[in-house]
Amino acid sequence: MSTSPGPATGPTVIVEASHDTPLVWFDIAIRGGASMDPRGVEGLHRHAALLARRGAGRRERAELDETLDSLGAALDISVTRDAVSLSGLALSRHLDAVIELAADVLAAPRFSEDEHARLLRETPQVLDEIRDDDSALATRWFDWLCCPGHPYGRTSLGTEASLQQIDRATSIALWRREVVADNLVIGLAGDIDDAAAARVVTRLTERLPAGPRPWVVLDGPGEPVRGRRTILVDKPERTQAQLRIGHLSVRYGEPDTAALAIAEAVFGGMFSSRLMQEIRVKRGWSYGAGCALRRSRLPHWFEIWMAAGIDVAGPAVALTLDLFADYAARGPTDEEFDFARSYLVGAMPFHVATARQRMQLAVRDAVFELPAGFTARLPEELAQLTAEDVRLACRRHLHPDDAVIVAVTTAADAQGPLAQAGGGALTVVDHDEY
Amino acid sequence: MTMSWRLEAEAPAGRGTTARRYRLANGLGLITALDRRAPIVALQTWFRVGSRHERPGATGMAHLFEHLMFGQTENLPPGEFDRLVERTGGESNAATWVDWTYYRLSLPARDLALGIRLESERMQHLVLETGPVESERDVVTNERRERVEDDVDGWLDEQLMAHAFTVHPYRWPTIGWMEDIRALALPDIRAFYRTWYAPNNATIVCVGDFEEPALLELIESHYGGIPPAQLPAIDTVAEPEQTRERVVRAPKPIATDRLLVGYKAPGQDEPDWAVLEIVSTLLAGCPSARLYRRLVIEHEAASSVDAQLTPFRDPSLLRLAVTAARGHSADELLAVIDRELAAMAEHPPSAAEVEKAKALAETDFWTQLADVDGKAEALGHHEIALGDFRKVNTLAERLAAVTADDVARVVRTYLVPARRTVVIAEPEAPDDGEDEA
Repeated sequence: MSTSPGPATGPTVIVEASHDTPLVWFDIAIRGGASMDPRGVEGLHRHAALLARRGAGRRERAELDETLDSLGAALDISVTRDAVSLSGLALSRHLDAVIELAADVLAAPRFSEDEHARLLRETPQVLDEIRDDDSALATRWFDWLCCPGHPYGRTSLGTEASLQQIDRATSIALWRREVVADNLVIGLAGDIDDAAAARVVTRLTERLPAGPRPWVVLDGPGEPVRGRRTILVDKPERTQAQLRIGHLSVRYGEPDTAALAIAEAVFGGMFSSRLMQEIRVKRGWSYGAGCALRRSRLPHWFEIWMAAGIDVAGPAVALTLDLFADYAARGPTDEEFDFARSYLVGAMPFHVATARQRMQLAVRDAVFELPAGFTARLPEELAQLTAEDVRLACRRHLHPDDAVIVAVTTAADAQGPLAQAGGGALTVVDHDEY
Repeated sequence: MTMSWRLEAEAPAGRGTTARRYRLANGLGLITALDRRAPIVALQTWFRVGSRHERPGATGMAHLFEHLMFGQTENLPPGEFDRLVERTGGESNAATWVDWTYYRLSLPARDLALGIRLESERMQHLVLETGPVESERDVVTNERRERVEDDVDGWLDEQLMAHAFTVHPYRWPTIGWMEDIRALALPDIRAFYRTWYAPNNATIVCVGDFEEPALLELIESHYGGIPPAQLPAIDTVAEPEQTRERVVRAPKPIATDRLLVGYKAPGQDEPDWAVLEIVSTLLAGCPSARLYRRLVIEHEAASSVDAQLTPFRDPSLLRLAVTAARGHSADELLAVIDRELAAMAEHPPSAAEVEKAKALAETDFWTQLADVDGKAEALGHHEIALGDFRKVNTLAERLAAVTADDVARVVRTYLVPARRTVVIAEPEAPDDGEDEA
């Protein structure tokens, strides 16, 4: 793998060659992302990015799509809290042609008036689809309420109200400000050599406007919730409760990152973890149960999830909070620590088995502004840890007394038991309010 | 190669890789493919048993085993299977569908022997007692609630299969009907295990970093002594030809109409399946696809459209799934679909349009072979569902041979209202406002 910050001005470039298939994957991350949407204009980054993909250079949207499909290629836009990503897949014999199209999207999007208006009409339909999906709905509400005011609580999709604040000129200005060479992380993987990679990087960046990498300005860290609170998102005819339980935690890349990886694995990151054993194996209350510290550039959530039968939703929340409190106070046993460390060290080869995986991990680390190879080196850090290190990390970073509980379920059946589950004051909201 | 193995077939499985099929005297199949890019292996055990091998009243049995097989065995206490795998850093999982069930281990290469020991143990010595069966029954009912009862897409899918097929076992859901899951009896569960979990009903697929002679020896030592089972004759009832449209509607707590249409199509091994795969791509398999362009972009009548041709051994379905945009109805979407299909039937697509679908198919072909798990799955599916792993390659050749006239012909033949089943979920009517008084 080669990783470089580029010259004084230029993108960060990551190349992972592998010639076992005639395919090339590329990920172009534009640092920033939805957490930089202005307050009240949530959804702006997503809107600008999707609009850029809908016609570029001399091609309107239909011709761009037709040309890409005819090459057997894919070129997709996605938006996370930390970056906008232009991701592509091409047969290597068509790579140059596909890269030309990607370069058009970066440097010369058309930002058509028609497509702008169409996209504004389309996005509320995506909100509808989320409301129809209990798991996605639980995540949307949890993100919003976990730490009010935190940049990651801001929906990348937007709200019915914020979408009305998005205009075309602001979208164009955002793209021109953020799509500059210094602000890009370019990852290439697959059937490509260094010389071809250098040509690709030149083609992708040579037409971009000159300009400094935009200063990433984010609002404050939000206001962590004190004390427990429960939000019941009322939806009719549910047979289960989609549950999210958690709180604001720390940044991926903090000194305790390796210790928290073990903490996460012991509590809810493996089939043998405590949550899975207590909730699924012993009681059969949910098909799955787990937890994760969300990986992002800024401090993000520690989050527990499950989908418990509606008849056991209250007991499931109560038991989970008890397990969480016990775990935060005591951490893993020595045996659990040894087991989880063995699991995590042994699992690393699966995360870096293919050129594409290695490239994607390196791009992610670069977006998070971590040292090159940070994630790939975690096994070395894991080897240095003691069980006591992990217990200390649990006490420092897990806060069960300040947990926010979101339950998407039917209030008529679940409100009483959930109110008695030890999750603090319970508020009922309608599922289509947000 | 040790003397007990018979080499039956070999074929390319991607650039520089050869897949080989061996067989032991007891009928156990083994497909190998070396891939030394990383020190890992994909070890998958495929059984020729899926929901099609169940009977009415006992549906969900094959899927229940996907859970039970991780439980206690005569030589492993409860939970030990998962602990042994996870301690290595590996992962285990399983999948069940209409034609097969397979068990997947992703292991560090150095732990391949452990994986083979574990798989041979649970093929022979699974302990099926009341306690663990009841526990997994609860888990499966919750899985069903999550994927069907509380998921409109799961409900649509289940209704489509239930109405598209009238006599064929594809008509019941792989996860099983809820009342059947609750009623599956322990003696029947034990009988199912004894019947289908046998070496002559299984093929092991191993892709990754290993030494083939050592692998053959290892598998022979763990499986060679297992006797074959007397497998029941497969007596699948042929689905009669569908001659009229079937329509199912129901209100659901959703925002807009959902439409799922299934056109009766031939099995994956039939010549026209490949043509329909190209049709599926042309309709809704890419951003420039006809239905996507028409429904989502031009008419703005839908927020999403998706096409899938199911890879079944027996008659399949070409499925079109559409979510209506606000203010538009499923009936309106269906009318647009009909117009688009009529146009494609009357006027064959241009050669360039067909070439586009082929280019996308070529990318898909290589993508499925890009990692060891995907390669093992592709080999396993074609071996078990279609009888020969080499059909991974011949399917690619079949797709490459499709012509524009083929496309028009199969649209005229298969994608007609009389051969389809339509399932529509509609938003429930607003309540009567009794809480607002």
